[in-house]
Amino acid sequence: MSVEPLDAAAAQDHLEMVNRILAESQQRLCSGGEHFVVWGIGSAYITVLFQLVHEALLPSAAAWSVPVVIAACAAFSIVRGRQTRRVLQRSSLLQREFFNVLWLTLGLAFVVDVAVFNIFPGLAGAAIWSVAEAIVLLYIGMHGNRRAQIAGVLVIVSLVVANFASPGIAGYVLGAGMLVGYAGFGASELLARE
Amino acid sequence: MDELLLSKVRLGIVAELLNFDWIAFSELARSLDVSNGNLGAHLSKLVDAGYVEEEKSFANRRPLSRYRLTKRGREAFASHVAELQSLLTATS
Repeated sequence: MSVEPLDAAAAQDHLEMVNRILAESQQRLCSGGEHFVVWGIGSAYITVLFQLVHEALLPSAAAWSVPVVIAACAAFSIVRGRQTRRVLQRSSLLQREFFNVLWLTLGLAFVVDVAVFNIFPGLAGAAIWSVAEAIVLLYIGMHGNRRAQIAGVLVIVSLVVANFASPGIAGYVLGAGMLVGYAGFGASELLARE
Repeated sequence: MDELLLSKVRLGIVAELLNFDWIAFSELARSLDVSNGNLGAHLSKLVDAGYVEEEKSFANRRPLSRYRLTKRGREAFASHVAELQSLLTATS
């Protein structure tokens, strides 16, 4: 291959182009807002449900809806993930890592709630979901997404407030954190994409 | 310097792919503002050199070509950019 060697001006021009392209390729999610909305609503539902059962406002049989909700959220993420991959025009490295972190943290939270519920009974199990969600949000925030940083902090604040709130409302506080922080972040991502 | 990356279009393609898992052909053409024919020719050279991986599929019954940077392409880009910077430092 015979190519003319570059002079300093051309090298400068090439480097400027590279810097511009790299600056424009923000480390952002190319899709995924809908996953946050679904998991945020699902986890808030589970947390509030346990609170209502604990307060005897709902029969304990209502807890059987929990595995159904988790399975529905997981099914949505799997189907939607495959669907978007088919039509998406680009996928950032952050997008790929985000899904890895999402599945790891939600999988661990699921194990905590299902397999080790004696160690994390009641609100502790619900709080694990908040911790998992805060990890996902702050991970995305670490890559420069300001909305994710704010949402992650909101989820953590809800954890702290729930810790000091009376046991009668702690579950609602955690649920509100999941709705505002996790589902809210998803909604803001969807709006920003449009 | 890497002769393959002395072309501004090919260097641009590799830079575009750097922060992405993959990018579709039409999106690359839009981002780099080059014609489909021109982009296709440059992409072929990068694919032949093992710098870029090509994946062909169908989306909504339309052909869809996706491209991702290989480890070899990533290393070639890093080394080429370092040499460009050295050239600038040497001449300044």
